[in-house]
Amino acid sequence: MRFWQLFLRNLKETYRDQLALGFLLAFPLLFMLVFGVALGANEAPSYRIAAVDDDASPISASFITEGLPQALTLEVELASSAADALASLKLGDIRAFVVIPPGFGEAVVAIRSGTPANLNLDLTYDESDLAVSGEIVQTVRAILGEFAAIESPITVNAHPVNTQAKITQIDFIAPGIIIFGLLIMIPTSARIMTRDKENGYLRRLLTTPTHPWEFILGYSLCLLLIAVIQIIFFLLIGWLFGMDILGNLALAFGVYVLAAIASIGLGMVVAALAKSQTQAEPLTWLFTMPLAIISGVWFSLGSMPSYIRAISQIFPYAHAVEATRAILLRGAGFTAVGSDLVFLVAWAVGAILLGIFMFGRTMRA
Amino acid sequence: MSDQAVRNLENSAAEAQRPGPACAVQTFNLTRAFGRLVAVDGISLSIKKGELFALLGPNGAGKTTVISLLCCLLKPTGGTAYVLGHDITKEPYEVKKLIGVSPQETTLSERLNPLENLELIARLHDLPKAKAHQWSCLLLETMGLSERARDQVRNFSGGMKRRLSLAMALIADPQILILDEPSLGLDPQARRAVWEYIEHLKGEKTILLTTHYMEEADYLSDRVGIIDQGRIVSLGSPSELKTRLLDTHTILVKGWNLTQNVIASLQQRYQGVKLEGNTLTVSDRHLDLHELIEQLRRDGASVRSAYFKESTLEDVFIKITGKELRA
Repeated sequence: MRFWQLFLRNLKETYRDQLALGFLLAFPLLFMLVFGVALGANEAPSYRIAAVDDDASPISASFITEGLPQALTLEVELASSAADALASLKLGDIRAFVVIPPGFGEAVVAIRSGTPANLNLDLTYDESDLAVSGEIVQTVRAILGEFAAIESPITVNAHPVNTQAKITQIDFIAPGIIIFGLLIMIPTSARIMTRDKENGYLRRLLTTPTHPWEFILGYSLCLLLIAVIQIIFFLLIGWLFGMDILGNLALAFGVYVLAAIASIGLGMVVAALAKSQTQAEPLTWLFTMPLAIISGVWFSLGSMPSYIRAISQIFPYAHAVEATRAILLRGAGFTAVGSDLVFLVAWAVGAILLGIFMFGRTMRA
Repeated sequence: MSDQAVRNLENSAAEAQRPGPACAVQTFNLTRAFGRLVAVDGISLSIKKGELFALLGPNGAGKTTVISLLCCLLKPTGGTAYVLGHDITKEPYEVKKLIGVSPQETTLSERLNPLENLELIARLHDLPKAKAHQWSCLLLETMGLSERARDQVRNFSGGMKRRLSLAMALIADPQILILDEPSLGLDPQARRAVWEYIEHLKGEKTILLTTHYMEEADYLSDRVGIIDQGRIVSLGSPSELKTRLLDTHTILVKGWNLTQNVIASLQQRYQGVKLEGNTLTVSDRHLDLHELIEQLRRDGASVRSAYFKESTLEDVFIKITGKELRA
């Protein structure tokens, strides 16, 4: 049980280091408060909506590609079915969706040539989303009128659905801030291990009959415990600030733990490469902060350019942010975040194996 | 045993490549290269059980590399070594069970107290919890650190850290103690305390220490191996080395009227005559203090003090390598 002794030692070293402790807990908390206040009233200026084309006529297609996007406040994407669109709505990826019924094209042609006809459009949105029920319904109605070049009769069938989500600023910030805390685990892991390597303490311990795997387990367990404490701490803070937790807390916890394992693995890689603490620290911050920004821990990824979003998708953190927001805020289940989970598991396993391999190699004679 | 006999023993052992039963540590053509730099260049030596062996050499001579090889922190690129019969290349964990090491950098777990530091090492050596605690307390007492047993060691002085480091090497009651520069960076008083403690362990344990302090090797060791550029250049007890290698004697003279005439007159008779400041250094194979003083008086100088300079290992080192140790 040598690894257990090493685990206890690493834990003592960390909790007796108030600066490091403050850094792990106070730093993300500070960001949480600053961003919570700064972004409190600042909502995204445009709404993402989906369109389902059940008519599949040239007219309906042009309504989707040319008609709806005329409204500057709407960002339109195509959905394959109403069920898909509803799932996206529940995940919060879109704010509303329209279903264009069969016969829509014929009706528009008829109206344009002077024959009266009924124009129907189904609009589904979250009933609790006040902005949508007012603004989007109005906008869609206006655009349809213009598109068909008539005043009436237009029927926009509004379908408010209950997605149970009332997302406030703290709801949005808290899950991301936890990921930020777990991103800080990269420099933290790197620092703890590089320090022992740099000052020769690891060399001293290596003169005892301790195996490299016992050292790695001793470090990893300690760092994982720190991460778990961090996750619980920020979930508690979020809850205190009024964050609603709708989904399966255990599932969200699992996602966070996977992100933490990826961070610990990356920290080990840095510790294996860095010669000194002064080298390791700035190096890790250099990629941790940009990674935090592009992973959407503070801002929604929706407002970022597509190439940034593409880069962020390479790393596990954007997936973890998306998955935990979906789980905690919108009650998404296991299957809904399945692809994110697979990606996270792959990253966690890959990063920790690479870390073990590279850091383990520095310990071998 | 004479130096020649030891060498013969080592040679025959090197041929056989088998560790002798009386040896605690035996190296056979031990070599370690880092790229093109050969840090340890074919060292063959044996350290007997219970012996205090000092590896003496300047910084960069290869002392710490030898230690790292014996502690299985590095793999040799050639040759091997046996620690109590265990091959360092084949049974590193068996070797590590037998040794206690105090590395050159006094590295401790800074936010643990000395008791925790000691207990950790003890536990890593598989000592049961109660025993680890008991021995740790005992060693802290011996090292005079009991009063600070609950203070974090980052607040300790260099001397206290060094004593704790020594205690950490001892905690698992190893058969072989390896001390890399045990008094490096200590003030004379703290150094003396460390020396006294090491002296107290002599005979009880086999001790291998490295140092670049001549006095340390001179004061402590049974046998000294002088290492330079990765090779053992001379081997023997301190007094053996001095008598074998230093065939000239030196007298230091202080006085007045040490004029050019006086010096010229001395130079006719003695091999080495040098005046530095007001100290005259006279050296030759055969020297007689009375004769020298008599001659000085005759030449009109007045002598305030004159004495034989005791030869040191430093002189031995300069003689062998042609350079100063602390250069």
